Amino acid sequence: MSAAFRTIRELGADLRAGRVSPVALAERCLDRLETVGGKLNAVVTLTRERALEQARRAERELAAGRDRGPLHGIPYGAKDLLATSDGIPTTWGAAPFRDRCLDYDATVVRRLEEAGAVLVAKLAMVEFAGGMGYRQPNASFTGPGISPWASDAWSGGSSSGSGSAVGAGLVPFAIGSETWGSILGPATYCGVTGLRPTYGRVSRHGAMPLCWTLDKLGPLALTAEDCGLVLDAIAGADPADPTAAPRPYRYDARDPGRGFRFALVGGTADAAEPAVGEAFTRALGILREIGSVEEIALPALPYEAMTRIILWSEAASAFEGEIESGAIAGLTAPEDRVTPYARDAILSKDYLRALRLRGVVARDIDGVLSRFDAIVGPSRGNAGPRLGAEFRSPIRGGAPDVLGAIGNAAGLPAVGVPCGFTAEGLPVGLQFLGRAWDENVVLAAARAWQARTDFHRRRPPVA
Amino acid sequence: MAAVADEVELLFALVRHRYGARLDEAQLKIVRETLEGLARDLAALRAVEIPSGAEPAQPFVAFRADS
Repeated sequence: MSAAFRTIRELGADLRAGRVSPVALAERCLDRLETVGGKLNAVVTLTRERALEQARRAERELAAGRDRGPLHGIPYGAKDLLATSDGIPTTWGAAPFRDRCLDYDATVVRRLEEAGAVLVAKLAMVEFAGGMGYRQPNASFTGPGISPWASDAWSGGSSSGSGSAVGAGLVPFAIGSETWGSILGPATYCGVTGLRPTYGRVSRHGAMPLCWTLDKLGPLALTAEDCGLVLDAIAGADPADPTAAPRPYRYDARDPGRGFRFALVGGTADAAEPAVGEAFTRALGILREIGSVEEIALPALPYEAMTRIILWSEAASAFEGEIESGAIAGLTAPEDRVTPYARDAILSKDYLRALRLRGVVARDIDGVLSRFDAIVGPSRGNAGPRLGAEFRSPIRGGAPDVLGAIGNAAGLPAVGVPCGFTAEGLPVGLQFLGRAWDENVVLAAARAWQARTDFHRRRPPVA
Repeated sequence: MAAVADEVELLFALVRHRYGARLDEAQLKIVRETLEGLARDLAALRAVEIPSGAEPAQPFVAFRADS
């Protein structure tokens, strides 16, 4: 029986019915990560020894009737910015750190182990999570991430391997991180579901800091349901991360029993590629079958500029050592060796102005979202860019992304789901942006979407 | 726009002063392009009227180990 493209729920049923064992499941994932994952530049390190040890433990425990829950015995991959012990390197996608080993596990990795999940790989990522200003896909020492949907298309960044490994059916779920676009982007380009949780929902302890007030960790998986199951395991307070909020989270798989209330920001898809705009227009028709869609307008504020200033200021500080020492000269993308120097020019009062505006925006958008379940929009304005070409990015100011700027600056949850394909067969996506701490609401909307569509069940050529 | 251009020149001089010795002309061109985008962002941000009571959205919590 093939384990590829089976959801966490399906695999859990297979494991408990004895149709597959945790060890056999882990071995199949390891084999596919090595073969298919290699073609996609998706993998930094196979964690075979640790995986088989965890899988054997899961096998023993399940046989003995000790069930740790839905993730017990389920393989996964972790973006290589999450600290791992046991001599497994943590590279941050950056050549200067390709052999660096840490002696502890990130809280997320530890919580997944406690939930019985099996770590099979550290997954590729854009160097320093894209914080140095890369302009083209070849910005990792493992090479450009390749989409499972086309060998000449980028998988997105910065959670490149997390997107492509799930999209190619190499693992049922992966952990990624988002500062601005790094979960929803790869989820879109790889045709999978990605959940960016509320800022503070998931501990960042042991994750590479790029931007302390914007960084979030979250899952990429085949379905919204699976994302909820993973979030349930990794959410919660953590003494090691004071920003991890003591708000309990339990995934709620029940439907709300009423129609959804969606908001649409006028003009939100105007700058998108035609195929994205067309798919989004069709999506609105389906959304109207499960709820209402009301067009709204937001105050005219420099949302993207505000978020960029916060990102660049904090990144300049987080990587001050690498920038001042000149260590960035060892990075893969030529522009990543240079762009960070320009960030020294940001004045502290401008950073504080951005933080002050951020507070205003967070209150304003909460007022808007208090009347709706979610704001809907394209999860990215384009499909996966071609390898070897420079792409437009909202993080550099080259493309608009109001929902991304607001959602990340205000720390709001969003789930991205596949909603169509371009003429070339590349996936495009739809996002549900919700009120702070309302992951279950946006997941319910995404589940309703996936109950009426089959985009998330289509399989890429590489599979 | 003149003010933005002036700011770009001033910021470029600052970056070149600090790091110019390790950057070639092509790299300095990337720095300048980056600063042009940065200056546009700063101009947009500074043009917004923010209420004087709006504090930075960045909580600081006084630390005490035994609390």
